[in-house]
Amino acid sequence: MQRTSHRSGFGSHLRALRMARAEEGGGFSLRHLAARCGVTAPYLSRLERDEVAPPSEAVLRRLAQELGEDEDVLLAMGGKISSDLHAAILARPKLFAELIRSLRDMPEHAVLRLMREVRDGDW
Amino acid sequence: MPLLDDDRLVFRFPEIDEDASFEIDFQRTLRIPDTDRDYPLPPGFGRFPLEHVEDHPALPEHTRRRGGVLLPMWQAEAMWLNFNHRGERLPVAVKVAAGKINAVTGEPWTTPLNRDPQDYVVCPEQPWLDGFAVEPGVIRQFVAMPLGVGYSAEEQLTGEAEWGGLQISVTPLKQDVWERIRSRENRSVRFGINPALQERGDMGFGAGGRMRQEICVDRRKLADWDQRATQRVFVTLWHASQWRDLTGRPAPTEPPLAKDYADAGLPWFEYYGRGSEAAPGSERLRGLVGPHIFEKIFEKNAGASLSESKDVETGEPTPIGPGAPGPRQIKSPSGKL
Repeated sequence: MQRTSHRSGFGSHLRALRMARAEEGGGFSLRHLAARCGVTAPYLSRLERDEVAPPSEAVLRRLAQELGEDEDVLLAMGGKISSDLHAAILARPKLFAELIRSLRDMPEHAVLRLMREVRDGDW
Repeated sequence: MPLLDDDRLVFRFPEIDEDASFEIDFQRTLRIPDTDRDYPLPPGFGRFPLEHVEDHPALPEHTRRRGGVLLPMWQAEAMWLNFNHRGERLPVAVKVAAGKINAVTGEPWTTPLNRDPQDYVVCPEQPWLDGFAVEPGVIRQFVAMPLGVGYSAEEQLTGEAEWGGLQISVTPLKQDVWERIRSRENRSVRFGINPALQERGDMGFGAGGRMRQEICVDRRKLADWDQRATQRVFVTLWHASQWRDLTGRPAPTEPPLAKDYADAGLPWFEYYGRGSEAAPGSERLRGLVGPHIFEKIFEKNAGASLSESKDVETGEPTPIGPGAPGPRQIKSPSGKL
């Protein structure tokens, strides 16, 4: 049977993360990780083989936390955008669309310079 | 200086390694009983919200002068600090103080890193910190105390309620030391190890119940740390019950309820639920003052009596800290209880 591949790269990334964590210590078998993320081991296995579409935002976040991956990165690899970012863009769509387009081709170090730092004071 | 991203403090040191960043978030948890027993780990409830202090003009001037971030916290909550690396795992030395009392040594805050005794934790070896180190392998949990009633570690050790909050500095390894380490190690894998009576709204941390947690010994040389690159931040704790007065918005989190405590197998005390009163239970680092003494102090200061902290039946304590099996469970990234 022909199997449909969803977002190739997502599953293999997930598997690479899990295997690397398993090398560092126990608790990262398919069964253990699936149980902690509220999914079944067969489903997680299919996710790792890109046989099913990436999971919900909640499950992606849980996987990211367990695997030590950045939540936004794993969400993006799963074709999703964090709901708080989604809400922020929808609240001011024109402004944020312009902002993101204007930053799209800017090098990473230049974007980082634009980010707001936590101001340190007198203590 | 750090960035604030999704309720996390993000420290980058591009002059040392462009691909390395270190993050600290503050995890909501329940208070464990303040007795002489070592307790298992209470559940985590996701990150405490963080906002820029400079976005809050209604804060007192002395608070605004300190800069940093603002963190709303309920009396019934405790906190642990969650340390994570992203990208390359550039080691960092992290100093943590509560009310400018060093959480590792109990000494007043100083800027440089010190040895003998070591007054900082090292990451990635140390995945988290839950409280004040009171003896080898044992910490007393960070629990919220309104400032000004005498329970915070700061007030007990200095007699003053001046600072409150948390103070944090992060110092990276020197670039040449880091380059030497990287050249020795095969670093093909790039991700983190992921392995806490009055009208005042500002709060400090007292020392609550005991938990087993090791403070990792720094096996590097003190000179290996690049102390010119140190970044620091002041975390102001604000009583969540007074969040609306400050911001005009409802508190961003719900307080834990008696049921949350019952579900976790932990006792609930009435005073947890009262917005502006203090709990008994702080203990001087290396404790001279026990909970019963606090009750007397509380009666004197507040004219009220409080329940004593009592042990409850629980299972085997869960080992936490370096070497503990598996990652530490967190129920949700930033959700409500």
